Amino acid sequence: MTVVFEQSTPALRGKIAIWWVIASEVMIFGGAVGSYIMARAASPGWSAEAAHLSTFMAAINTFVLLTSSMTMAMAFASYQKGDQRGVRRFLLLTILLGLAFLGIKAYEYTSHIMEGAVPWSGSFWSFYYMLTGLHALHVLAGAIVNFILFLAAGRGLSTGYRIEIAGLYWHFVDIVWIFLFPLLYLSY
Amino acid sequence: MTAERVHPNYVAIWVWLVVLMVAGVLATRLPLGKSAVNSLIFAIAAVKAALVALNYMHLRSENWLIYALAIVPVLLVVAMTLVLFPDIVFHH
Repeated sequence: MTVVFEQSTPALRGKIAIWWVIASEVMIFGGAVGSYIMARAASPGWSAEAAHLSTFMAAINTFVLLTSSMTMAMAFASYQKGDQRGVRRFLLLTILLGLAFLGIKAYEYTSHIMEGAVPWSGSFWSFYYMLTGLHALHVLAGAIVNFILFLAAGRGLSTGYRIEIAGLYWHFVDIVWIFLFPLLYLSY
Repeated sequence: MTAERVHPNYVAIWVWLVVLMVAGVLATRLPLGKSAVNSLIFAIAAVKAALVALNYMHLRSENWLIYALAIVPVLLVVAMTLVLFPDIVFHH
């Protein structure tokens, strides 16, 4: 008689799965960021357009996203302690901070467009809209997932390990912005 | 049954992240050369990313397979970019 010891759990499989997703996202964003670096290093002139960006707004957005990462980690810590209300509270904070990020981004885009800087205004603006736009879509997707978990937590259903998986995705989105901020707004 | 990990102090990490963010912004005002400032701000970004990855993403306590999944694509992207530099950047 053979006894099979099942070591893999849905939580571990889910975690490995989300890391695979993150790995492929690293290639996507990495390829885009690498292209920007090379294009900018090859012909330095066009990045002078970066002066039109608001470092202040982007710094606020960086602060917003960093804080949302902390609240997401705290949501998971609440789940581990069995504190369902804490899970809801921190998930809600994370969602609101994510929406704040998108709101500030929308305001930035609007002011650029009103100044005449649209995605086809030149190389810099193409890169800027592509990089930040792709990132913003990821923030939106993460906020939707977090909202679904928030609703589940509200009905007394356990979010389970899904909160850790959603958290890993959210932290990755934060890390992408951690690099986009100096790349687009600070470097010269 | 999930093991109860002793998790890092998330608020302390957040404080460090905010401090580093401010440091990055202030670094652009330093009277240093272009390359020095760029290296500094990206080094700061790398430290922030490491703090998030190790603490918020719990990479500190994960097994080697997860580490490999996290690190290998980063190395691939860096290698890919560097390898193309001679052709695209220095060619002109």
